[in-house]
Amino acid sequence: MSGAFAHPATIGISVFLVALLAVAPVIFEVLNRMGKLTPELRRELYARYFSWLVLVPLMLVPVLAGRLFTIFAVGLLGLFAYREFARATGFFRNRLLSAAVVLGIVLITLASADHWYGFFMALSSLTVCALVIVALIGDQPKGYLQRVALAVFAFALFGVCLGHFGYFANDKNYRPLLLLILLCVELNDVFAFCCGKFFGRRKLAPNTSPGKTWGGAIGAFVLTTALFAGIGWFVFAGTVLAAPVHLVTMGALLSFAGQLGDLVISSVKRDLGVKDMGVVIPGHGGLLDRFDSLLFVGPALFHYVGYFVGVGLDQPARLWF
Amino acid sequence: MNDWEYKPAADVGLAGAERWRSLRREAGLPSTLAHMTWCGLTRAYLGMWHHFRVTGAENLPAKPPFVVVANHTSHLDAIALAAALPPALRVHAFPIAAGDTFFETKATAAFAAVFLNALPMWRKSCGAHAMETLRERLVTEGLIYLLFPEGTRSRTGEMGKFRAGIGMLVAGTPTPVVPARLDGCFAAMPPGSRLPKRHPITLRFGAPQSFADVPNDRAGWQRVADSLRAAIEGLAP
Repeated sequence: MSGAFAHPATIGISVFLVALLAVAPVIFEVLNRMGKLTPELRRELYARYFSWLVLVPLMLVPVLAGRLFTIFAVGLLGLFAYREFARATGFFRNRLLSAAVVLGIVLITLASADHWYGFFMALSSLTVCALVIVALIGDQPKGYLQRVALAVFAFALFGVCLGHFGYFANDKNYRPLLLLILLCVELNDVFAFCCGKFFGRRKLAPNTSPGKTWGGAIGAFVLTTALFAGIGWFVFAGTVLAAPVHLVTMGALLSFAGQLGDLVISSVKRDLGVKDMGVVIPGHGGLLDRFDSLLFVGPALFHYVGYFVGVGLDQPARLWF
Repeated sequence: MNDWEYKPAADVGLAGAERWRSLRREAGLPSTLAHMTWCGLTRAYLGMWHHFRVTGAENLPAKPPFVVVANHTSHLDAIALAAALPPALRVHAFPIAAGDTFFETKATAAFAAVFLNALPMWRKSCGAHAMETLRERLVTEGLIYLLFPEGTRSRTGEMGKFRAGIGMLVAGTPTPVVPARLDGCFAAMPPGSRLPKRHPITLRFGAPQSFADVPNDRAGWQRVADSLRAAIEGLAP
């Protein structure tokens, strides 16, 4: 863990997260004494809180522990998210194709761990080609398009999109950057929820996600952008991205991509007719119910940062292969 | 254009021990891999340590669904029965195991579910609902059940009475049932012994039987059980 807290923003975000977890029960109890919480709401808040007590260390510790810990933690997240998707759709019964998707996710993770950008990018197209071809095995044209589409969709979201978070770890400055992204994405959800309660009138997409409102979406957009720009000023200090225009653009991009990820998984759930994608996180549902907002934030910010300053350019590449 | 058809895993919404104990459990990639590896390893062990010999494998239907029933004298029986199936069929095979032996604790339930791919049968409280679930899954999902109709291991090595449960699974359906006779398991590892002794084991598969014309009632179930018991007795060397 040497150098884990080398950047002041890493210390700031870590302390903020730990403090938030310490203060939350106090806030719940104050609200409870004031009579603002119904017993059910209090129970739900605590169920979510206890899940965060596990989730925050699960996100924080690998990022602080080092490059490979981060990359493999992201790889595991991708595999578990894929498992949930495969079981909810029934796609897991196509064992061979399912194994090909898993192999694609594993290879993306290895490409990140090797810091081999060419292979990391090549896997997007090569794996899609492989999935389209593997789906031919068995000579069963019935359902071909459906199984190929589900395989490509799953690989694109849980392999390629999530995989960008792993590749970020090849940058020398990845710790404050990833912590900033994770903090803003999760608070983006909280902002949307709270702003929706206060200002939400017009529904955003009533058929896809009845709880979401324009008020919540715009409120989250403004607050998350401001939060990202504020902390980002410390994280990107000394680079071209520390300019206000970049900070605001990245914050806006994060909030927009985060909310779209949420809508995409909501759409998947409505199509499948399920309320949650799984049951692993009490109070939240499945992994995908909690981490849906991360899906598009990874590629969006990765390529923005990559275009203007590059990711891991000053670090040794192709370490193993 | 028609809507796509999704069929979520029957055990969606169950986690951990609850999922391992579910009669609706469907194996994913990791447990399929664990189960196939287990079968491969046990087959190698049986071959090396017990000179395992299988005859009559041509009696096994080429495709599921079907049921294999055998005499029961040892914990080695279920291992031998699963390992004797061709690899292409193993992936569909679910041994039906005693819930109170294999699924009582979380550790044994995890082992039985992940490595053996077993489904639990609770001997003291096996309701009609559980049998109905197993009967429905067998046909609709195209499964293979491996089960021991005596319900418990014979303490003498002699075959006991067959319970009617097997009849409840197949009476009135065209699902084939393959009788199988295991010899040598009792001498190798009788009830009460902890480690298997070096003793040859043989497995004989008999001709499959179908009970499509047998009524799905108490008398019919017993007819199925008696017929299969007689078939296994007939496979004696």
